[in-house]
Amino acid sequence: MNILSFKETELILSKYKIPFCKTEIFNSKEKALLFAQRIGFPVALKVHAQKVFHKSEIKGVKVGIENEEQFNLAWDEMMESIEGKNIEGLLVQEMAYGNEVAIGMKRDKQFGPVLMFGLGGIFIEIIKDVSFRVAPINKNEALEMIKELKSFKILDGARGKEKVNINSLVDILISLSNLSMKEERIEAIDFNPIMVNRDRACVADFRIIS
Amino acid sequence: MKNIFNPKSVALIGASEEKNTVGLGISKNLLEGSQERKVFFVNPNRDIVLGLNCFSKITDIQDKIDLAVIAIPAKFVKEAVLSCVEKKVKGIIIISGGFKEEGNEKEEEEIREIVRKNKIPLIGPNCLGIINPCANLNASFAPITPKKGSIAFLSQSGALIDSVIDMAENIGFSKIVSYGNESDLELVDFLNYFKDDKETKVISIYVEGLKDGRKFMEVAKGISKPIVLIKAGRSDKGIRAAESHTGSLAGDYSVYKSAMKQSGVILVETIEELLDTSKALAWQPRCEDGIGIVTNGGGLGVLTADYCFQLGIDLPELEKGTVSFLDKKLKKVVNKSNPLDVIGDAMPERYEAAIEAMLLQKNIKGLIIISTPQIMTDHDKNAKIIVRLKKKYPTKPIMCCFVGGKLVSSAVKHLEENNIPNYFEPMRAVKSIKSLMKHG
Repeated sequence: MNILSFKETELILSKYKIPFCKTEIFNSKEKALLFAQRIGFPVALKVHAQKVFHKSEIKGVKVGIENEEQFNLAWDEMMESIEGKNIEGLLVQEMAYGNEVAIGMKRDKQFGPVLMFGLGGIFIEIIKDVSFRVAPINKNEALEMIKELKSFKILDGARGKEKVNINSLVDILISLSNLSMKEERIEAIDFNPIMVNRDRACVADFRIIS
Repeated sequence: MKNIFNPKSVALIGASEEKNTVGLGISKNLLEGSQERKVFFVNPNRDIVLGLNCFSKITDIQDKIDLAVIAIPAKFVKEAVLSCVEKKVKGIIIISGGFKEEGNEKEEEEIREIVRKNKIPLIGPNCLGIINPCANLNASFAPITPKKGSIAFLSQSGALIDSVIDMAENIGFSKIVSYGNESDLELVDFLNYFKDDKETKVISIYVEGLKDGRKFMEVAKGISKPIVLIKAGRSDKGIRAAESHTGSLAGDYSVYKSAMKQSGVILVETIEELLDTSKALAWQPRCEDGIGIVTNGGGLGVLTADYCFQLGIDLPELEKGTVSFLDKKLKKVVNKSNPLDVIGDAMPERYEAAIEAMLLQKNIKGLIIISTPQIMTDHDKNAKIIVRLKKKYPTKPIMCCFVGGKLVSSAVKHLEENNIPNYFEPMRAVKSIKSLMKHG
């Protein structure tokens, strides 16, 4: 089991037109800072490694970095906490806002590629409000999958909340369905979270396992 | 596969009259059909079994053999299969266990290669056998032969078949198959066969693990007959038990649920529900949403309405025409609504008027009729009225909920003999009528 490198991840996401937050990988703080300044603060800093470990265990994620000073501090802290671990680099990423959802793919022993949709964050880990479909799926099935969630109303503008762009989630599900049918070497995919608002959805965290 | 389900001649390798043996069970069951076909017994250690001459080898039999049933210890099975090939049988069932499920994969593969090379379809090994009640064929060691009906029951567990046919004494079956290790013929092959089988209306399945989930989905999608399925091995403990039971991978249940939904398969949770749903689908027509409830007891009517609400079933209001029809016939009934309570002292005439009024209303697509055994209730007559009205209005399904014990048993028997399902618990009736709704 191997996590794809950032470059490979970027390639495959682009190939299947899966939108992801502006991200670049760095090993040099200076270059990373230049990138952060270019895309504009606030940014997020995340560890990318090809070996599995929980990012929160090693303090591998820092979001909402507002300026150069905070950036330098965050970089140094993260580097310290991962010392001795084999990582590929640190990702500098634009901050996206909206609701968190999760989309995934795994290969089931009996049914082959299976797609998963759920609300992100605590919803997926504690409430386990998720839906599944065996790939391939069409647009209607993707929509059904999203509407099947008990908490669908949260995405659909319950209690005056912003109604998110459901079509952009349908598109990601369809792209992932195509990917799962064609890229047989890919064993599993986790996009969690995907940030979705009224305009768009973009993958903020990705883990592609081959 | 026709030769397996409708053989003109059957040979049992391993016939026996020794008490408490599988060999004796199958011998007896096969003899039940000896009016329909020639039955031959093979056992080199015996001259006669149950009054029939025994051959020492299948090749000693002069007649042609369509179906060979093998029930001997695993180590002799391969040799028996070879003799079946020599005899040019048209189908083989291997009852014997002791193969893949016990880690003996090599022997099982060798046998598969032999039958595949010679194009002889094989069921098993490690199974109970098959029953075709429509042809009076019982090639299994089940304790009884169920009556003829329109449900095809496929089970990965043999013992479960024994329980089901005993439980379901009012339900008939078109075919019963214990498909065992699926060495050659697999679950999907039987599905494809039942798809066009005129005697089968509903396919019911007990499964632990599917050999090829995607192929199952593809085949199931292509079958317009309803398929009802129960899946065992949903929890970690269950999965472990399944792996040691049939040696198959049980898989993730939430994925199963989605896969079944995608393939149009009705997934149920309990054996009771498997039978409830299967008999509803076998006996009653499909319908749209919109259910009428007739009851002589307020309490059960309220519960039934609750369950309908819970499962999202619509209970249409009674229309003016229905109410004025009832006004004329049911003077004593004050509240004319759905559920329609014909009140505890209802005699059959009141039931008849209420049922007919409901059936005449267009947006009521099916009925649940509840009857509690009150002191004046005439269950037998109520049942007769329901059977008669069902014939008059054949397109709308009727489910009964005659709830009781001894007091309702003869009425229930009459209902079910006429293919009107009865359930002793309103939730079961509601779930079953839900399964008739195409978009349920």
